[in-house]
Amino acid sequence: MRGALLIILLVAGSVAGLLWGQVALAPGALWQGLVTGEGPAALMIGTIRGPRVGTALGAGAVLGLSGALFQTLFRNPLAAPDILGFTSGAGLAVVVSIAFGLVAPMPLVAAAGGILAALLVTGIAWRRGHRTPPLSIILVGLGMGFFTSALSNFLMTLLPQAEAAEAQRWVTGSLAARDWGHVAQVWLPGAALLLAALGQARLLETLELGDDLAAGLGLRVEAVRRGLAATGVLLAATGVAVAGPVPFVALMSGPLGARITGATSVAGRLLAAAGAGALVLMLADLVARSALPGIQLPVGVMTGILGAPYLLWRLSREMDRGKL
Amino acid sequence: MSLTAEALTIGYEGRTVIDGLDLEIPEGEVTAILGPNGCGKSTLLKTLARLIEPASGRVLLQGDDIHASHSGKLARRLAILPQDPLAPDGITVGDLVRRGRTPWRGFLSPWREEDAAACARALEAVHLTHLAERPLNELSGGQRQRAWIALVLAQDTPLLLLDEPTTFLDLVHQLEVLSLLRQRNRDTGLTVVSVLHDLNMAARFSDVLVLLGRGGLVATGAPETVLTPDNLERAFGLAARVEPDPVTGKPMVCPL
Ligand SMILES: Nc1ncnc2c1ncn2[C@@H]1O[C@H](COP(=O)(O)OP(=O)(O)OP(=O)(O)O)[C@@H](O)[C@H]1O
Ligand SMILES: [Mg+2]
Repeated sequence: MRGALLIILLVAGSVAGLLWGQVALAPGALWQGLVTGEGPAALMIGTIRGPRVGTALGAGAVLGLSGALFQTLFRNPLAAPDILGFTSGAGLAVVVSIAFGLVAPMPLVAAAGGILAALLVTGIAWRRGHRTPPLSIILVGLGMGFFTSALSNFLMTLLPQAEAAEAQRWVTGSLAARDWGHVAQVWLPGAALLLAALGQARLLETLELGDDLAAGLGLRVEAVRRGLAATGVLLAATGVAVAGPVPFVALMSGPLGARITGATSVAGRLLAAAGAGALVLMLADLVARSALPGIQLPVGVMTGILGAPYLLWRLSREMDRGKL
Repeated sequence: MSLTAEALTIGYEGRTVIDGLDLEIPEGEVTAILGPNGCGKSTLLKTLARLIEPASGRVLLQGDDIHASHSGKLARRLAILPQDPLAPDGITVGDLVRRGRTPWRGFLSPWREEDAAACARALEAVHLTHLAERPLNELSGGQRQRAWIALVLAQDTPLLLLDEPTTFLDLVHQLEVLSLLRQRNRDTGLTVVSVLHDLNMAARFSDVLVLLGRGGLVATGAPETVLTPDNLERAFGLAARVEPDPVTGKPMVCPL
């Protein structure tokens, strides 16, 4: 089972995430802090790095899962919620709520924004009587992403300087100053949505055979597709609510997870994508906060640096295969 | 399982493709649907399998209106292999065939003995048992076509609809696929309806032919009564002579 490799990487990565940062802990101190719950290491882990690593793992997992879900649903490796504009839509909703001082739970605001963006994208790409080609949805989604990001930036120019800096950090995607509340906020809905996704894995497997054959096998194709898309959007929004619209994690995790684990079944690929997403976001955050002395970069900057070359490579591959 | 179309009118966005068609697909027999490109063969087949909602008229499966029936339950009585199914990346033949068991499996229910048995029978029938572990995309066109047929055979329905199961196959593989369906029909009483393009093959392997033209149904019945120069002229605009096939005695179309 190569799935074990992914689990080992996750455990090793999490330990590294707890040990390293602007100040490195000795492994002994980490052990003592974990066991006794006392000493400077315990404080560091309990209040700063623990929640940060926990949030990164959870947010990465839901983003990765969401990416794999959409990629399978659209049969296209570019169809991830960050490319489709859903994560920036969720981000815009949060900026709006900050700018206008709305009091509502962050996950709900993000979910509303993500769903709205998804409805707009499918609505704009929809043509009467034709099944929308995935590529149209991806192109409209790219436009939606640019538009919502631009709107977020515009709103931020209207904010007072301190709030604007905070919002700026947030829309880049940041894991700074997370607490255990954030961990719960991503893990609880994340676990429920993971179960929902796995429950639909067999439907997705049937849908992969094409709409006609799936309908012949008794699937109510449109309802199944709506259920899967809703699950995917909520997963992405759950991640955005605690980490901001970090780019590229959802895009990369599906193929990366499949590569690491060799999973071929749909359920296996979904789980692998969740694990890969957790790993990518956690390691990206680790590098972002410890690479430059005295400076903590927002994690979104790091995933952008990692993800942009991947996207270019993917695009060139798709062009070679004649799909673009 | 008898399948009946009553006054079926089917169209896309108001453009009528099939107008007021009455048709009876006899139980336990092999039926072929013939006609020129774009005359509506696939449209008709999909409507018979409840994938397209007709503008008016009904399709009855042993008396039940299929467009009003529960789709999941219907999938245990009627299987359809469409013209262009999609193969998931890297899927093996065995995995593909296992997906044919979908209608028999409940939500989250485990894989049962009878599911495995049905898949084994289906692979056996298409002679692919030894290739079950191979990825589908490493198979030849003929083998791949047989793998898709195994998927719908694993669905274990008494009625099977196939859209052009022999297109892209050479003569030998066409014979192989059609005699396989014929064999299945003789062994298990499976009712088979397929869309075919090769008139002589259709005559050879079918009990009943349904000949469509641009204007709708031209003729239906035994091959001898359907494949006449007159009907071929009406359906295809084809001038042809029809002679008995020296091997089988069935009608053989020779275009002039
Ligand atoms: N999804 C669709 N939307 C609009 N028109 C369609 C659609 N599918 C088919 N048609 C039209 O309906 C008519 C019948 O198409 P159909 O696919 O049933 O033909 P066919 O007899 O199966 O042809 P072929 O032998 O080429 O497979 C054609 O004119 C086609 O252009
Ligand atoms: Mg056709």
